[in-house]
Amino acid sequence: MKLLEFEAKEIFRNNGIPIPEGVVIKSPDELRRHLNGFTDEVVVKSQVDVGGRGKAGGIIVTQKADAVEAARHLFSFPIKGLIPKAILVEEKLPIDHEYYVSISIDRTTRQPMILFAETGGVDIEETARTGGPEALRRVGFSPLLSEVPGFLMRQILGTAPKELGPVINNLYKAFCASDALLAEINPLVTTSRGVFAADAKLIIDDNALIRQGITANRDLTPREREAEENGFSYVELEGSIGVIGNGAGLTMSTLDLIQHYDGKAANFLDVGGGAGRERVMKAVRLVAGMPDVKVIVVNLLGGITRCDEVAKGIIDAGIDQHVITRLAGTNEEEGKALLAKNGYQMLDTMEDVVKQAVKEAAA
Amino acid sequence: MIYGDHTTGIIVQGATGNQGAFHINLMNQYAKETGGRGVVAGVTPGKGGQKVHGVPVYNSVREAMAENDASTSVLFVPGFAAGDSIMEAASAGIELITAITEGIPVHDTMRALAFARMEGCTVIGPNCPGTLSPGELKLGIMPPHLAMPGNVGIISRSGTLTYEVINELTRAGIGQSTVVGIGGDPVIGQTFTDVLERFEADAQTKAVVLIGEVGGNLEEEGATSTDLPLVTYIAGISAPPEKRMGHAGAIIEGGEGDAVSKIARLRKLGIPVAGKPSDIPALVRELL
Repeated sequence: MKLLEFEAKEIFRNNGIPIPEGVVIKSPDELRRHLNGFTDEVVVKSQVDVGGRGKAGGIIVTQKADAVEAARHLFSFPIKGLIPKAILVEEKLPIDHEYYVSISIDRTTRQPMILFAETGGVDIEETARTGGPEALRRVGFSPLLSEVPGFLMRQILGTAPKELGPVINNLYKAFCASDALLAEINPLVTTSRGVFAADAKLIIDDNALIRQGITANRDLTPREREAEENGFSYVELEGSIGVIGNGAGLTMSTLDLIQHYDGKAANFLDVGGGAGRERVMKAVRLVAGMPDVKVIVVNLLGGITRCDEVAKGIIDAGIDQHVITRLAGTNEEEGKALLAKNGYQMLDTMEDVVKQAVKEAAA
Repeated sequence: MIYGDHTTGIIVQGATGNQGAFHINLMNQYAKETGGRGVVAGVTPGKGGQKVHGVPVYNSVREAMAENDASTSVLFVPGFAAGDSIMEAASAGIELITAITEGIPVHDTMRALAFARMEGCTVIGPNCPGTLSPGELKLGIMPPHLAMPGNVGIISRSGTLTYEVINELTRAGIGQSTVVGIGGDPVIGQTFTDVLERFEADAQTKAVVLIGEVGGNLEEEGATSTDLPLVTYIAGISAPPEKRMGHAGAIIEGGEGDAVSKIARLRKLGIPVAGKPSDIPALVRELL
């Protein structure tokens, strides 16, 4: 789950990373009582979770006197369709230089990896592309270490100021303590008053949300959240063929096959292993509840999935749309008989099921 | 038989939970059919002295190993405790851990894998269905009856999609040497590259089917690492960017790891890529 800038900064601050003085407001008028704390210029920042926020006009640098107006503007200014629920107002720092630093997990080496660039504040992919390997330095190290070893820190920093070292080390601590997949400061700035994280980005591992005290994953739509509560993996798409499968790979492959035959899937739903009557019923109803779904494909394969249970779940759901099923597993014959008796269609291969569904969705 | 054979003794960690108990039974049924030793001991801290489907349960891996001849463990321990259990098994001298558990925080996985490597222990998974050498050994939860012995290896990031491919191959009369589910998480122990190295040293395996999906670039890394004849399939050509497709690792991030560019890179290496699972048997037959 992605955190908003002000939430990430709170975690950074708790891990010893200096951040600019600032306040989080939920309405423009709230800012009035905080203005005395600022001198001269302030930075007013829309708290939406999208990249390129600055370029899109979501960050306004302004005189203190105009800050409330700027906040009022941002509260009703959509960025990539998102309206902020909160705005962060910060002191404007006297910046000398901007750097880039991030820590992420490298799948290939199975280690934390630090990325550092001497030019921050801009699109980092652009720096990597135009500046060559020296412009974006990469250093990985053992996850069993509790801090970044000195020799690696020297390698990361090169000729950049040594004061950045402790901040990067604290970023690694924040990265570990918050179960982050990504911890990024762009820009990390040097000023006459020291080093500051001018921006902050944190993505928390969904598998660690409970441990991090986060109860609801905000990245999900309401239907996606309902699916998660039922133990399904679910993604909303834009077509008219509902899809229910077991296992991420098989479900993805079913979606791909729909595209292969020029159909459009409405969703991805993985019911998980060993799904019984109740779970199947819930899954079918959830998918049927999407407004555009005309037909539903159920593709279940597994040693422990009982086909008679699945058939009962489909029948229990009692939905209006046509359900086309492909089942392989225990009690296959009983499942087929139950579905046939209740007028449901069952085919033997995923290709047949998908072709049939594409035909019906187009009709 | 790249991870053991019918003489391999298995310890199940997380033996008294629903999943653990259920699969002890299934693994031992398969062992009985194939003349294997199967699961010889279970481990659940605090539940030592119990029995699960006739298998004795111990409080620690060390105790289980002291009283039983076993070199490999299969792990069903829940997410937040699984990292610790991997380290326990590695420290006790287990040579191969198959981590079935889904939902382990990735920081825990990273540390546990680094620790296991220091102890010289190999880890398959996590978030995987395990391995199956038809007629010899089942470590994990794969349904064995779709498979038949033969000389094609399978390596996959997925579970049920692998069963689909096993099913297609068996129906086409093509048997399998060992089927390895390496797991759907972003950080996993054995990668395509590691498993391919074992297949190269395995006299039984003549060709390998590599089943990948969106996210990362382990498929391309594996494909460039080997001289073995390969057929590949990549799931997720219809997957939207920045959405996690069921597996924690199945996500197109920052414009990287999408199926179209994976497939393009594999084709550039001259490796056949199946357009759909049912095309795999014909492509494999061309290699044999």
